[in-house]
Amino acid sequence: MSSAESRTKLSPEEVVTVALTLDPTTVASFAVQPGASGAIDQITAEVIRSAMETVCFEMATFVSRTATTPILNQSNERNATVHDWRGRLAALSVGIPQFMLSATLPIDFAIEFLGEELYPGDVLVANDPYHGGGHLPDFNVFAPVFHPRADGTDELVLIASIQCHHGDTGGAMAGGYNVFAKDIWSEGTRYPLLKIFERGKERRDVVLTMRANNRIGGFVGDLRAQVGAAQLGVERLGQVIERYGPETVKAACDHVIEDTKRRFRSEIAAWPDGTYEADAYVDADPMGNTDIHVHVAVTVEGERLIVDFDGSDTRPHIQAWSTFGNTRGQVVAQIASLVDPNIAKNQGFFECIELAVPLGCCLNPVEGKPVSAGTHHPGVEVCDAIALAFAQLIPERVCPQSYKYGAPRQMWGDVDPRTGRPFFDHGGEVNAGWVNGVKGVDGWGALVASNGNLIKASAEINETIFPHFLRGRNYITDSGGAGQWRGGCGSLFMKEARTPTYISQYVVNQYRTHPGIAGGANGAPDTCYLKVGGPAEAVVRVDPSVTGVLLETGERLVYHFGGGGGWGDALLRDPSAVLEDVWDEYVSVEGARRDYGVVVTGTVADMDLALDLPATEVMRAELRAARPSGTSSGGSLSGAS
Amino acid sequence: MSGYRIGIDVGGTFTDVVARRPDGTLVLEKAPTTPDDQSRGVLDAITRVAEAEGTDLAALLAVTDAIVHGTTTGDNTMIQMTGASVGLLVTEGFRDEIEFRRCYKESIWDPTLPAPEPIAKRRVRLEIAERMSAEGEIVDPLDETAVRHAVQRLQRFGVTSIAVVYLHAYLNPVHELRTREIIIEEYPQVASISLSHEVFPKPPEFERTSTTLVNAYVGPPISRYLDRLEAALHGAGYSNELLIATSAGGVTTPIALQSKAVATIGSGPTGGAMAAARAATAARLGDVVSVDMGGTSYDVCLIRDGRPAVTTDWNWRHRYCIALPMVDIHSIGAGGGSVVQAASGMLEVGPRSAGSQPGPICYRRGGHEPCVTDVDLVLGRLTPQGFYGGRMTLDLDGARDGLAKVAADSGLPSADDAAVGAAAIVDAHMTDAVRRVLSLAGADPRDLDLVAFGGMGAVHATAQAAALGMRRVLVPRAAPAFSALGLLTADHVVDLTQGYIVPWQQADIARIAAMADTLETRARTELAISQIPEERLRFEWFCNLVYPGQTFDVAIPCERPSDESRGASDGGVLAAAVAEFHRRYEQARLIEARAQEPVFRGLRLVATGLVDQAETVTLTSAAAPEPVGTRRLYAGDEWFAEAPVYDGETWRPGSDVTGPAIVQFRFTTLVLRPGDRARVLPHGDVIVDVA
Repeated sequence: MSSAESRTKLSPEEVVTVALTLDPTTVASFAVQPGASGAIDQITAEVIRSAMETVCFEMATFVSRTATTPILNQSNERNATVHDWRGRLAALSVGIPQFMLSATLPIDFAIEFLGEELYPGDVLVANDPYHGGGHLPDFNVFAPVFHPRADGTDELVLIASIQCHHGDTGGAMAGGYNVFAKDIWSEGTRYPLLKIFERGKERRDVVLTMRANNRIGGFVGDLRAQVGAAQLGVERLGQVIERYGPETVKAACDHVIEDTKRRFRSEIAAWPDGTYEADAYVDADPMGNTDIHVHVAVTVEGERLIVDFDGSDTRPHIQAWSTFGNTRGQVVAQIASLVDPNIAKNQGFFECIELAVPLGCCLNPVEGKPVSAGTHHPGVEVCDAIALAFAQLIPERVCPQSYKYGAPRQMWGDVDPRTGRPFFDHGGEVNAGWVNGVKGVDGWGALVASNGNLIKASAEINETIFPHFLRGRNYITDSGGAGQWRGGCGSLFMKEARTPTYISQYVVNQYRTHPGIAGGANGAPDTCYLKVGGPAEAVVRVDPSVTGVLLETGERLVYHFGGGGGWGDALLRDPSAVLEDVWDEYVSVEGARRDYGVVVTGTVADMDLALDLPATEVMRAELRAARPSGTSSGGSLSGAS
Repeated sequence: MSGYRIGIDVGGTFTDVVARRPDGTLVLEKAPTTPDDQSRGVLDAITRVAEAEGTDLAALLAVTDAIVHGTTTGDNTMIQMTGASVGLLVTEGFRDEIEFRRCYKESIWDPTLPAPEPIAKRRVRLEIAERMSAEGEIVDPLDETAVRHAVQRLQRFGVTSIAVVYLHAYLNPVHELRTREIIIEEYPQVASISLSHEVFPKPPEFERTSTTLVNAYVGPPISRYLDRLEAALHGAGYSNELLIATSAGGVTTPIALQSKAVATIGSGPTGGAMAAARAATAARLGDVVSVDMGGTSYDVCLIRDGRPAVTTDWNWRHRYCIALPMVDIHSIGAGGGSVVQAASGMLEVGPRSAGSQPGPICYRRGGHEPCVTDVDLVLGRLTPQGFYGGRMTLDLDGARDGLAKVAADSGLPSADDAAVGAAAIVDAHMTDAVRRVLSLAGADPRDLDLVAFGGMGAVHATAQAAALGMRRVLVPRAAPAFSALGLLTADHVVDLTQGYIVPWQQADIARIAAMADTLETRARTELAISQIPEERLRFEWFCNLVYPGQTFDVAIPCERPSDESRGASDGGVLAAAVAEFHRRYEQARLIEARAQEPVFRGLRLVATGLVDQAETVTLTSAAAPEPVGTRRLYAGDEWFAEAPVYDGETWRPGSDVTGPAIVQFRFTTLVLRPGDRARVLPHGDVIVDVA
């Protein structure tokens, strides 16, 4: 089971069994060495790589232009990739790193399962978390690119893939996020692998079945947008193969993957050898099981990089499961953010990381566990744990690429008084939170860099669609973790109902807050209150989750989104930078004194702020002296507050 | 057509000027750009035209009807971040939209990318209690006392330009209007006030906030610059109209720009796209892609139905969103100045640029890293003599030495190999840039022709067209000063949108008709300044539609909504637009589009005041050209020891040459690969049938 060659010989029945009991270490190391595809000059390889990235961009753009539902064409949740004939990731483009990187395993499964039954003109669809997928709403659509051989047969050269998040998956609850589901089957319909097109012809039976298992009218239209994108990818990649020949294209894939490995390994080799362990926690799963635990040991040995999650949560009754494919994508997304951003993103990263995730732990559940919420938590805590481990190794590069959304907020009601119709709000508006500082740069913007392509909804347009007022979402003063470089502030998000509205919400990061790095403090926690503005005794704090709480007209949801962690010792922050922060109310006068040891006189209101440098020296000396010996400041490796 | 019409485009290095003589023929000149005050370079360039015409500046200006100017003052202000001291008043709770950017960040893989330089720091973004509903009704009245206090505070902070962005002000601007009155009462010396509903009367709040802030920031410097330029021109004897290019692909007056200076940002490359559109039409081509390759950038624009594509909303320039309509030009960092280097043993080209200072090695200005211009020189595509019209000779040996060094560092045998490799890489970058632009519009390059301009455009055009499967390349005679030419021929364009969000079946048609009246009045007022006669005005109407929840509007052409369309029970104008909207989606193979009912998001008016276009000049034919020499050339994947070199300036209609060949013009060079056939059209432009 260590090579694609051996796997393709398995019969379908064996594969299903094997896929369920697979040793993830084997899967992740994916030890396919480049075959004898012939020599290629680096310039041709670079030209072909650029062309494949452009095809990814074209596929993603096709979906944006043609999809009809907001999640696809509005928020850029579409992730296009190109894979080589063995399923290896060769190129990717715009999207979300975690999800672009999780596109390979469903393709591996398809190659294993179908073998010779994969034909030119086929387009496949898959969403099953237990056959390589992340969670059910993420539908992978992919299509093989064949080149005719002289003997009349066809040779598989590349695979075009486009993954999109859809708004419904069937199952017990609308929206694809049934955080109370007891198992995967109550979350929605699983499609391990379907041919939606076979030999160039749409399979109407498949479309009919998928339509019947989805609540959203536009679902099939969006699926067709994805199919069209994959077909466009096939056409364009076919032109590339036509131009350069299949052997050259295959060799180019090998070359760019090898180049990534070479560049990535040279970074690994420069890191100090050793084993670096870290822990991250989720406060609680949606059912209230506390302290979902992610443990990682990162080992550097020369050019080897071993990432082992042994020791992570194995309690069987929890409701927090990140599939192996999702875990693997999160690992690589976080590690890719730590190295030269110009290294091409492809299979080379996977092949350089020896990943071990014990089957049955929260990061590699046995088949049947529900996973919709776990994709996010403990999925993103994988990033936190990796970041904290690397903080002991290359702190100057570390910034956790995580977010702490819980599950998407859902608000619904029977009647929008303006239209007389029911409404369902997925809560996709902009908010700010959880952006760490990194050496040299304070945390900024709304979300981490890896979410930078996720364009979120606006207040003005959502207020026309849903009966509420968004009463604000300003940054919260003092919510960014203190540090030599400050964490970005969280935000105060307030939504007021204009008509009776039900709300479901799951809130994390209330106790286990976003971690500081290299001695930086953690960010401020999240908290969420419902029915604010109604009778005082009716106010509900969400901890960790509620479902169907009724907001009366005029009552508010008040959500404090947490801040990002700081980087480095706050007592080393330039006092004039702290003064600037006080002017801008990212930090209060009190916060400057308490968290940074910087004494600022005057007030913002009176516009007479000034630094008292002598007093600052004294204050900082006192704060240093008060620290337990051997520590710097508030950041803690466990992420506990 | 009684006098001269002059187009002036300010580039990074040169200020280009094209003057159209009363007989329709053109004069091209260049003068060095004067970055500290562009108006000096502008006057210098016009002076050179006067000299070329055997007269002086005052005499030329006395017989000039119009001067059309594209200024990069706004862009330079944004690049250097040297705009006005700006303060912002916002609805309570929305102080930080400009930092949130709807979560957008430019680099998803690099957490160390710093924040953009702020236009207004948080301390000068002040909240005002007031609120409109999404129906445009007042929920909370304007707290006038809070406005007064905020304005006093901004004044104490040294703010000179105030932006006001209230939620849903595009629906009901009374609070913004009242705020302006209060600002003027409290702070009469304020230099500039930008109200969001005047700058960009559309949702959503981030796009409107960003656009309004940029307007407040660049408005005062642009006003100062235009005042200076007008004064200088008047001082030199000019008494007619000064027109300014906008990023929407038209021209407007300095007066109209007073409240909307942001509309000039990104206007630099639009002149070229406009000229390309006219050149394509004159050459009877269909839809084309225009590519402009100069020293630092490569600009791509799709031109369909004779017009450059225009986009609104999600336009980013200088790390800020400027949501106003902009000619949809995509720029990548690939030009003659792009640096060729060996990075960890791999040959790389760009995106770093040596610009024009120090520039490529061959410029002999102290540049020591080889650039694409050096590559083209070594490949024989440029002549060592006679660059920039013969004012500059190029250092071939220096370029070769520089490339030999890169070759050694990247494991290539020779300078020639490094040059061939670098050319392949830069061509691939450019080809992929074209593909990306076309994919955004769903266009197939094989259905299009290429229009190449800029100093380097024609050098790389044939290779690129072949790589894209395009069959023809048009090289306009005025290619090196094409942007200036485009300005000369640009129409007056007023592009206005009024937001109103409603499921289309519930739309109040009377309200939409009233919006149409308002928009038309505003457009006519703006166009009236230029005294364009009624028969030269064109009004095009669009309904902005989306499926529920989509972010970005699609503008669907429609009839003018009016009182007559009110009575139609089915919505009349709107129903037709909705049908067309569905049809467009269905065309893109989505048969299920009709499962959702579109939302009307606003009415858009594009009002055009047509400018007098010169008659196309027909040149006299001449005999087939003879080569003026030969040169070693790499073209179409092979070397030619003795490729013929032609003097393109002598070419006349009837000239017909098949490659391999080099055609040298005064400011650019056309490279023909084996089998490429170049012919001169009756009006002088060159068309190449690509092999």
